[in-house]
Amino acid sequence: MSTPKNPIELLDRYLQAVRFWLPKSQRQEDLIAELGEDLRSQIEAQEAELGRPLDQAEVSAILKRCGSPMIVAARLGPKQHLIGPTLFPIYQFVLKMVLLWILVPVFIFIIGPVNVAKAGGDWGTAVLNTIGNLWSGLFVAAGTVTLVFAILERTHAQIAIADKWDPLKLPPVRKQERKTSLAHMVCEIFFGFFGLTWLLLLPHHPGLILGPASTFLRVGPIWHTFYLPILLLAVASLLRSGITLARPHWVWFPRAAEMLQELLGLIMLNFMINAAAQAPGGDWHPFVVLADAAKNSAQYIRIAGIVNASILLSLAAAWLGVCIALAVQTWQLLRDVRERISGTGQPASLHVH
Amino acid sequence: MHHTVYVTSYMTTSTTASAEIFENLKLELRRGCLTLAVLTQLRNEQYGYTLRKALAEDGLEIDEGTLYPLLRRLESQGLLVSQWREEDKRNKRFYRLSPQGEQTLNQLLSEWQRINTSLSKILQEA
Repeated sequence: MSTPKNPIELLDRYLQAVRFWLPKSQRQEDLIAELGEDLRSQIEAQEAELGRPLDQAEVSAILKRCGSPMIVAARLGPKQHLIGPTLFPIYQFVLKMVLLWILVPVFIFIIGPVNVAKAGGDWGTAVLNTIGNLWSGLFVAAGTVTLVFAILERTHAQIAIADKWDPLKLPPVRKQERKTSLAHMVCEIFFGFFGLTWLLLLPHHPGLILGPASTFLRVGPIWHTFYLPILLLAVASLLRSGITLARPHWVWFPRAAEMLQELLGLIMLNFMINAAAQAPGGDWHPFVVLADAAKNSAQYIRIAGIVNASILLSLAAAWLGVCIALAVQTWQLLRDVRERISGTGQPASLHVH
Repeated sequence: MHHTVYVTSYMTTSTTASAEIFENLKLELRRGCLTLAVLTQLRNEQYGYTLRKALAEDGLEIDEGTLYPLLRRLESQGLLVSQWREEDKRNKRFYRLSPQGEQTLNQLLSEWQRINTSLSKILQEA
């Protein structure tokens, strides 16, 4: 890069650099002309004081004091933002909801297990694929949400949001939510931990579930596919209890997390029942199979059939129960949301102390 | 030794934060005062550099990046009028108060007097 031949060229270079960072408009030319005039006046004033022309170092000091071209352009130019202060809190809320409460759980509880099932036991590839998909999913979702809000910002939707509100439609003051008792939460964590340990021990100690029948029964192939999702659900349940205990002020969390967990449980039960129904009809042993030594005993075959049918019935009953619980909770949630939106309820009285 | 390092580090962080808070509050305090000072100075026509110089001589320094956007804003609000004119063989943009600016400045000065009186009273009572 060549050094400037004289102080005026140095000033021109500076103005050119500031112009580069300013948005192109008539205003840009005006600002550059005015800044240039100001700097020339400063140079002139200093020259008049010293009684001689300034050298490059002295002009450079004036420019340095004025600031780097990029910073000066940022100060001179119009204040720009992608999403303004009115829409930003809503943008932040939506982004958090989409990324943390929808995308991540969907990947952990649905796409992840499906990838594991598809990979046929190759866990490493399945986990890497899931992380890769999650990563691109997060980028695409964040980009889409940002783009939508940037469009809303440009179309001045925030003005409508800021204007269209009515104090009379504000939600009623919420009743003090019943907090879950500490003893209840500690018990839930304890049993959750106990259940998780039991689940982790199962693959090596089938007797923990089959009891004395483990001498002639073995777990069926279906459990190999669904063991990981069941394990993840148990971990999620334990985490939910832990978070509820650690963050008692998150009053929305227990219900939301419970509903999400129930929904995922329902999806998994559905897959399990379907998988069991598709098992070959002649040798229908999806949940438990007979050990090699017991395969020829008619009595053991009958017991295995009863156990498989019982497990299928239990799963169907659990599916029905979770459906009812989910429907009731959804109805309660919708009722709360509707009350909040319509603002029905007694207005809060003003307390003056 | 470690304790000394931690205490020194804590004090440095605390001093930096406190200086930052002071700078932000000072900027907030200056913002309104600068507008008032610029409008008052522009009762007489001036261009950017002489305006900055006049303000600096009275103890209120303002950099180029703050003054020129402020002048643009006041002009777009109709409080100032500007004109490019040649002086000493150079084109300069001269600013002066518009009739609306005169009126607004008088209102602002009354408000300033009122705030100043109140603040003096509050400070005397404290």
